[in-house]
Amino acid sequence: MRRRRAKRDLTIEQQLARGPIDLPYLALTLLLTAIGLVMLLSSSYASAYYESGDPYYYFTRQLGFALLGIVAMFLIPKIDYQRLRLLSVPAIFLSVVLLALVLTPLGRAGGGAQRWISIAGIRFQPLEVAKVSVVMFFAARLSKRNDQLKAPPKKWNRHTPVGRIGAVLDKIGFLELVPYGVILLVVLFLLYKQPHMSGMILVLVAAASVLFASGIRLYWFVGVGTAAAGALWFVITQTEYMTARINSWLNPTADLQGDGLQLWQSQIAIGSGGLLGVGLGNSHQKYLFLPEEHNDFIFAIVCEELGLVGACLIIALFALLIIRGYWLALHARDRFGTLLIVGLNTLMAAQVLLNLGVVTGVLPTTGISLPFFSYGGTALAVQLASAGIVLGVSRQIVAPRAE
Amino acid sequence: MQKQDPKERHSAGNNNRSLFRRTIFLMVCMGVVFFIPMVAQLWKLQISQHDYWQERAANQQLRDVAVDSGRGTIYDANGEVLAMSATAYDLILAPAQLVRNANELAENNSKLQDEEKEPDEGKIQDLIEDTRADVAEFLAGLLGEDEETYLKRLERTDSYYEKLATYLNEEQAEQVRKFINGYREESGWNMSMPTILYLVETSQRYYPQSTTASHVLGYTAQNESSGGEKVGAQGLEAAYQDVLSGTSGMVVTGVTGVGTELFSSYEEYFDGQDGMDLHLTIDAQIQAMAEQTLAEGIETYDVKKGGFCIVMHPSTGAILAMASSPEFDPNNYSEIITQAYLEQLAAVADQYGEDSEEYGTAWNEAYGEQLRNKAVNFTYEPGSVFKPITVAMALEEGIISPDDHYYCGGYKMVGGYKIRCHDHSGHGDQTVTQALENSCNVALMDIGEQIGAEIMWEYWENFGLMETTGIDLAGEVESFFWPEDEFKGPYGATSVATASFGQTLKVMPIQMIRAFASLINGGHLLTPYLVQSVTDDNGNTVYYHETEENRQVISESTSSLLRGMLESVVANGSGHNAYMAGYRIAGKTGTSEKRDETTGDVICSFMGFAPVDNPKVLVLLAYDSPERANGTSNYTPSGTYISGGNITAPMAGELIANILDYMGVEKQYTGQELASSDTTVPRLTGYELTVAKGQAQGQGLNVRTIGTGSIVTAQVPAAGVSIPGGSTVILYLGDAKPEQEVEVPDVDGLNPNQAKERLESAGLFLRAAGVSDYSDPAVTASSQSIEAGTTVKIGTVVDVRFVSNVIDYAPGET
Repeated sequence: MRRRRAKRDLTIEQQLARGPIDLPYLALTLLLTAIGLVMLLSSSYASAYYESGDPYYYFTRQLGFALLGIVAMFLIPKIDYQRLRLLSVPAIFLSVVLLALVLTPLGRAGGGAQRWISIAGIRFQPLEVAKVSVVMFFAARLSKRNDQLKAPPKKWNRHTPVGRIGAVLDKIGFLELVPYGVILLVVLFLLYKQPHMSGMILVLVAAASVLFASGIRLYWFVGVGTAAAGALWFVITQTEYMTARINSWLNPTADLQGDGLQLWQSQIAIGSGGLLGVGLGNSHQKYLFLPEEHNDFIFAIVCEELGLVGACLIIALFALLIIRGYWLALHARDRFGTLLIVGLNTLMAAQVLLNLGVVTGVLPTTGISLPFFSYGGTALAVQLASAGIVLGVSRQIVAPRAE
Repeated sequence: MQKQDPKERHSAGNNNRSLFRRTIFLMVCMGVVFFIPMVAQLWKLQISQHDYWQERAANQQLRDVAVDSGRGTIYDANGEVLAMSATAYDLILAPAQLVRNANELAENNSKLQDEEKEPDEGKIQDLIEDTRADVAEFLAGLLGEDEETYLKRLERTDSYYEKLATYLNEEQAEQVRKFINGYREESGWNMSMPTILYLVETSQRYYPQSTTASHVLGYTAQNESSGGEKVGAQGLEAAYQDVLSGTSGMVVTGVTGVGTELFSSYEEYFDGQDGMDLHLTIDAQIQAMAEQTLAEGIETYDVKKGGFCIVMHPSTGAILAMASSPEFDPNNYSEIITQAYLEQLAAVADQYGEDSEEYGTAWNEAYGEQLRNKAVNFTYEPGSVFKPITVAMALEEGIISPDDHYYCGGYKMVGGYKIRCHDHSGHGDQTVTQALENSCNVALMDIGEQIGAEIMWEYWENFGLMETTGIDLAGEVESFFWPEDEFKGPYGATSVATASFGQTLKVMPIQMIRAFASLINGGHLLTPYLVQSVTDDNGNTVYYHETEENRQVISESTSSLLRGMLESVVANGSGHNAYMAGYRIAGKTGTSEKRDETTGDVICSFMGFAPVDNPKVLVLLAYDSPERANGTSNYTPSGTYISGGNITAPMAGELIANILDYMGVEKQYTGQELASSDTTVPRLTGYELTVAKGQAQGQGLNVRTIGTGSIVTAQVPAAGVSIPGGSTVILYLGDAKPEQEVEVPDVDGLNPNQAKERLESAGLFLRAAGVSDYSDPAVTASSQSIEAGTTVKIGTVVDVRFVSNVIDYAPGET
């Protein structure tokens, strides 16, 4: 590292970039990571033992990625987040390339979908990168919207049909949405080819939150939302795969050995936990009853072992982290910081909410992992890295004047 | 915000405000609102529905294996085992597995493969057949049938479950284990024999004494609600099912989702409660005597429908024996073992075939009759045995006194009907005691008339004749009486009359003996019982039956009076044939018509007890329908007059005597009896004749001499032998030597004096039974303990049973 220069030698920009990182956000993140690791050990212990003979198989791998992620979380705030504006363009291109690579022979299949790629022996989900890239790119571009709006509107030649249509589209705010729409469609299409339903939902939600916060007119959300709902309805009713999922959600007891199994076992785990739980490490459902117990359904084991009290405590930690995230967004130094945090924070919040919804049976089953808890190295590392981005933004918050 | 003024559209400040609001909106939604349904759902699952899910969890996570509790043992009064449970084994064969194992073996064993390393069908087939032959040979040796039978079952290649045998004992099981485990070494092939032939543990109930007390014990069987478990189906096994069975224990093991046990051994044991043991009042020895007596009588008198025998301790209500005939073997309760039924069934099978409906009906009837406990699950008209009850209530109420006189002219007119006494010529003038001795119906009808329906009904209730006895056996039935109004009404007179001597009403034998016990024990009506105590598996007594008195029916003095009268019935009256010297037996005979049948058959019964002053044992013995020599004859084919006094009394007398002997009750002789009671022969050999004579006479013995001389050189019987008093000892003088062996003469039909003379002349001695007065010429010998013509040692005592023909019943009384 370069020798540290004296404060007076720094520009205001540089001084700001040296502010303190937000301790509550950091503490909550580390706390959740620690609890998540403990619960992963507990929940994966049995299946790891039965599958590989080594009960710590999943835990040791996850621990490695966690350490990697924590290092990243501390390093990333060292970089001035403004540089991410520039980084966002190559990042989005890299993401699209990686997503495309998944569909090539480099891709690796698992669980009926092709979602992973393996490069130089490292196997990871490009989606994890793509989610963050999309947020970064959208935040970077939309933060400049104010300047664009302030600039005199482009003069359309109203005497040509193209000019007239252009003027109308401009007036309703369509044209400014086109670049975002194109990028979204490309990413969504690539995810659709995997297929990765939940990934599509997450990317969509994250992108929408950035667009929403940046002041895009609400009727676009109403319109696109309606269209999306219609499309969803079409998919649900017209594809057997989705219909089966919905049916097994609405009526889990119909096929307890098949589609309904996971939710049924999850509810048994949660329900048998009761108020105080069966005790840390004492889950019985993890003994090959509940599928994906260390993965998407880890929260069911949390509920079983720690009871309603423990589960609510963890939910409260998540809620605090999310609220603190938005609080940081509100206090960010600039629009880019705000939009970046809104996007990343909403992404995490959506994952938490969707996962809890699926595990408890409030929502139909889709494969969404729980941040900080579910097994998945890249996901955890990326999660911690994106927390690092949030912390980076938090450094430049102008400290309230001392009274 | 939606209705922004176009002018404000480009305002940056407005845009910042919008960013602020919208982020706040997201914060509220994502941070708070959306979590609410999740937490609500958690509350629902973990709190509201907790029990439901916990049950589901336990259902799949835990495997509980029931651990059989041992069923309790049933002991008799002396601790002899009457029923017990032991581990047994079922032997199961899986013929299909044999083929499978051979084929699997061929996958890896080159000896079963052809040149191309593929399994060779021919070689596999040879192996299968060799193995079958080995198994069949072993089974034939173990189970006894020929190898062919087992080969056939081994060839059922689609079957994985052939039950070859049930209830193998430990020894047989050990043989099976040896064969299974040693097969690989023996045959050289790894056929995994334990998957082909294996044992399944079960519990078997054994009744070591087979038919003894079968009706009291009952049996165990599976029923619809018991699952695979055998539960008590009759008798004490059923009545004490809960006590005997205990509760099954349980081992709870945690399992994984794929059904294996958790690696962290998670096991919890819930101790079962072993069944408790019953200690009965039944004494196996007395029970055997009762059953023996029943069987002997049925055999001797050609009894068609069996009978029953209850032995009770009259002052506690303890049942010492309860026998019913025909009987069954609880080890194999569904097998017909009664000879008469087997013959009937064979006849039906000959006529209709074994698959016919007729055969099925006949079999069911035989099966049902074998299982029926006639002591409780049966009612009969008690007949003259009932008379003491009528007399007792009249005495208790002060309506009559024992010395009142009644006149019997052979019949009595009641309500327009002429009801006869069995002695059609009439018993003439008699006291109440004599009326009982004669078993006079007319006198009893007179007494009944004096008592009246009201009091009679009240006493019947008090004697427990209209209620179940409360004995600890299932299956008591209702006694049969008239409707109360009718009996007490103007048309009840004939009913009162016939009821006075015990006809036209029906009671259970157990009710009858319970009521009779109260007559002789001082008036205490007791609850009869079979289980004296219950102990747990540590031997602690958890229940002990105390004598339960329901009520006092008659006074001590009336009871004492009745005992005397009933002793007189045996000593001087119609119960005479039950007389056994030294035992002071009292009782009453009964010959009851079966009025609901048209067969004209009767039940011959006797209710007797002894010793009179302090009754230790009360016996009710009955034979149902002795066969008549020809259609209307009053005699059995063997020539016995059909009545309680002639058929049942002698059997009951002997039984009572045997029981008292077994119980060690000291004999009490009357003066007359004393003269003929047993005495020990003193040592006379070597003495002067005169001295010897004196000594013998001092013991109440007579002597006669053989040979000449003054010194006794030998004596018959030898010193120390016990012979009846008044017998004649033979003294040999000089060179005379006793013969060593003599032939037993026939004494049948002789009176006691004649019989004694004939036996003594042969050098044998007489011990008489069933007679109080040797000089009574009406008493004749009916049986002797050693058959005529048998060669025996000189001086042997021959027991001879004397009976007198008692006229205590004649058919067609009404």
